[in-house]
Amino acid sequence: MREEVDIVTPVERAVTRLSTTGVDFFDVFSSFSRSLKTKVMGRGIVDVNSIVDVGIGVRVFKNKGMGGASSQSLDPSDIDDTVKKALAYANVAQPDPYFKGMPGPSRAPKVTGLCDNGVNGLNPLDVGKLTEEMIGATKEVRQGAMMSGGIGTSHFRTYLMASTGVNIEDQRTIVGAYLSVTYREGVDVGSSSEFEYGVSIPEIDFAQVGRKAARKAVEQFGSEKVESATLPLVIAPDSASTLVFSLAGAISGEAAVKGRTFASGLLGKQVARESLTVVDDGTLPGAVGSDTYDGEGVPTRRVTVLDKGVLREFLHNSYSAGIAGVKTNAHAQRGGYGISVGAGPTNLLVSPGDCSRDEMIADTRRGVLVMGAMFYPNSVTGEFSSTLDEAFLIENGEVKHPVKNLMAGGHVLELCRGIDMISKEGRTYGRGHFVPYVRASGVRLSGS
Amino acid sequence: MEKGSTFCEARYFENRGNSIIVENGVAKALGSRISRGVGVRVIFGRRWGFASTNVPDRTSTEGALSDAISAARSIAGSATEEAQIATVESETETVMHSVKTPPDSVSPEQKVKQILDIEKAARSFDRRVKDTFVNYRDSWTKVTVCNSFGTSVEETTPRTFVFCRVISREGANMQTALEYSGGVEGCELIERAQSEGLPQKAADKAVKLLSAHSPPRGTQTVIVDQRVGGLFMHEAFGHNSEADAVLAGQSIVADKIGQKVASDSVTIVDDPTVSGNGSYTYDDEGVKAEPHIIVKDGVLVGFLHSLESAAKLKARPQGSARAQSHQYPPIIRMSNTYLAPGTMTLDEMLRDTRTGVYLTGSHSGYVETQKGQFTCRVEQGWLIENGNLTEHLRDVSFSGLTLDALKSISAVGRDFKIDAPGTCGKDDQNIPTDAGAPHFRIDRIVVGGRA
Repeated sequence: MREEVDIVTPVERAVTRLSTTGVDFFDVFSSFSRSLKTKVMGRGIVDVNSIVDVGIGVRVFKNKGMGGASSQSLDPSDIDDTVKKALAYANVAQPDPYFKGMPGPSRAPKVTGLCDNGVNGLNPLDVGKLTEEMIGATKEVRQGAMMSGGIGTSHFRTYLMASTGVNIEDQRTIVGAYLSVTYREGVDVGSSSEFEYGVSIPEIDFAQVGRKAARKAVEQFGSEKVESATLPLVIAPDSASTLVFSLAGAISGEAAVKGRTFASGLLGKQVARESLTVVDDGTLPGAVGSDTYDGEGVPTRRVTVLDKGVLREFLHNSYSAGIAGVKTNAHAQRGGYGISVGAGPTNLLVSPGDCSRDEMIADTRRGVLVMGAMFYPNSVTGEFSSTLDEAFLIENGEVKHPVKNLMAGGHVLELCRGIDMISKEGRTYGRGHFVPYVRASGVRLSGS
Repeated sequence: MEKGSTFCEARYFENRGNSIIVENGVAKALGSRISRGVGVRVIFGRRWGFASTNVPDRTSTEGALSDAISAARSIAGSATEEAQIATVESETETVMHSVKTPPDSVSPEQKVKQILDIEKAARSFDRRVKDTFVNYRDSWTKVTVCNSFGTSVEETTPRTFVFCRVISREGANMQTALEYSGGVEGCELIERAQSEGLPQKAADKAVKLLSAHSPPRGTQTVIVDQRVGGLFMHEAFGHNSEADAVLAGQSIVADKIGQKVASDSVTIVDDPTVSGNGSYTYDDEGVKAEPHIIVKDGVLVGFLHSLESAAKLKARPQGSARAQSHQYPPIIRMSNTYLAPGTMTLDEMLRDTRTGVYLTGSHSGYVETQKGQFTCRVEQGWLIENGNLTEHLRDVSFSGLTLDALKSISAVGRDFKIDAPGTCGKDDQNIPTDAGAPHFRIDRIVVGGRA
């Protein structure tokens, strides 16, 4: 079934209804998506899902108070009801003293490569074959894998109109693959996972996802407990990226400018060593995190977030920018056709260092190589306490054995300040984010 | 079925909800949402296929059926797990969960007034309160399941929630605390939140955390409260008992039915029929829900099942298949998961503990079921020294290996409570759940911290 749903006319209808109401600001956003997903459980594919999603969200601002409503129906009567509900709620909402208005229209060169027609033309058989390719590759490493995961493809069309004259129609595609692989040898378990995502099918090596997941799983056999200690961590890109995203979250949107995160007071201050520079760039062609315009219709741009360890800029939408007294730097993010508009990063690029991963390990007398961990802190305090889900003990510059039941604790800013080595190689995610290996010294570990 | 399916299911889903956001004395945003549609699932050629549409008319539903059959057909020759389904008696019933004060019987103006009162109570609690946030949410969900067994059930469930978050500050030290309440109830919840002092509790906690310290790291004896205990039962063990994880080789207890997996004092139950945020009468496959005893006196006695896993593992389905909405197929999920009560009091447990850590207030958690390694983040704790609670602790997590931890439960209290309403995420689907326990003690577990 190919539902060719018109998402423009319902938005225009809502805008027509709202235009005569005398409210201060409004915007209307609609989206249509068609997704195909395979689900892998056990030794193969268990099902294929075909999902169509369509909806519309209306935000109305009156006397600085916001009323919003969303609906998954685009029927004219439902659009009218949605508009009425948003208006009624705007009348009840109270003035938000921080609200300064919404951005007006502006034009920017189109960021290319964000939509691949090949994805739109996929059928369940195609996605099933790609999934088989992924799970079949595990056998090249070792037979007997028990798996979970799958492949998902989505094609999105969106349309945004605002009372300020913003009028943007867009479309994009996303393809993602994830596989968790488990092997057993008696009571010993080797388990790991791998993922990849992008805009188009050709940029993802599905067999490689399966092979890497299997290889990493086998490496997890023979894990041992280690004692509590204070040691350096060599943090691989998949885990280092959680640290980078934690920092990005703490400098994004209203929480950052209203003094509610551990990074709120750090603008212009040295938060890491000079070797650490982080850029956010929403204009990279072909990157999943890119877009021509942000969620409020403002052209995306390149922002230096951390310049030689100094925090230079917060990531704003128009609301947080208004509080900070600056212009928005185009980081508004919409959660689909709901009424929430937040702020966050697009593509985060950590500048590479000058050593290799192997040199980093060789330079570590005793430490832990962290392949899988989530360094997500308490966003207010910055303190974290994280299990090192996949990690290896390093002794005398060599990777020894996997470890289990080991936790790392501290403050994310301490962790950042402790980064004393950054690798020249790293991992690129969705053709956008780039994260190298980093070594952080003096991390407190809780073990047996 | 005329097209050659051996099983067919259509599920209509409709959810209507409202939200109010109050921040520092201002009801700055009110929202409303409606989602609805149909999900169609088939077994065709011994393969599963699923499709959904947001357009719940005959043409689009037939289109979804056609897509579901195409999806199943597309993997007929692939490396697939063969579909099976347990045959069950058909059910026909309409269930309406009634509440004292239905949310749509209260005007938005009245709700705003009451939520502002809650927020004000938190804000005026102490001069060190920096920011206060109260979020109100209500929802009304109707699910209709029809399948080729002849089942036709409809269930309507209202839910209401109040969340109160407070940020406290003293100099450069900033802390945050959350109190929340909610579940299958109506706007009577708002009054209860006020009468039970929910905002004051949140503010008190946030202020007291300003003088708390990081926990000592290493292996400790811990005593956990009902919320932390519920989180532990859900994360550390509950996910391992979901039969889809068992079938996929992702559970550490897959081959342990009839075996000892916990200490004698441990009985773990998942029960959709008791009062809680995870309650329902029929699951999303139209199977009538029953209590599921998973562990009895330390012995693993069962798993949570869908119709498919029940067929494959030759078990009786008891209604554990749930879907977030019409856009997802039902998968095996927990409901209200709890550790059954024992006999001790908290005081007896503390007196019997020379050194350790007392942990309260669940935050979040996750588990790697295949390895049996779990992590739970909690809001706060206290050092236990010679049976007394001493130093206040913040930002505490504990991590362990599920089977080691369950066997290390050395005391179970009698002050049982299901009081952890929240949502559980699995396979991109978020569904309402609840969890509970009495106070209990785990003898040796890794506690993470900075100290």
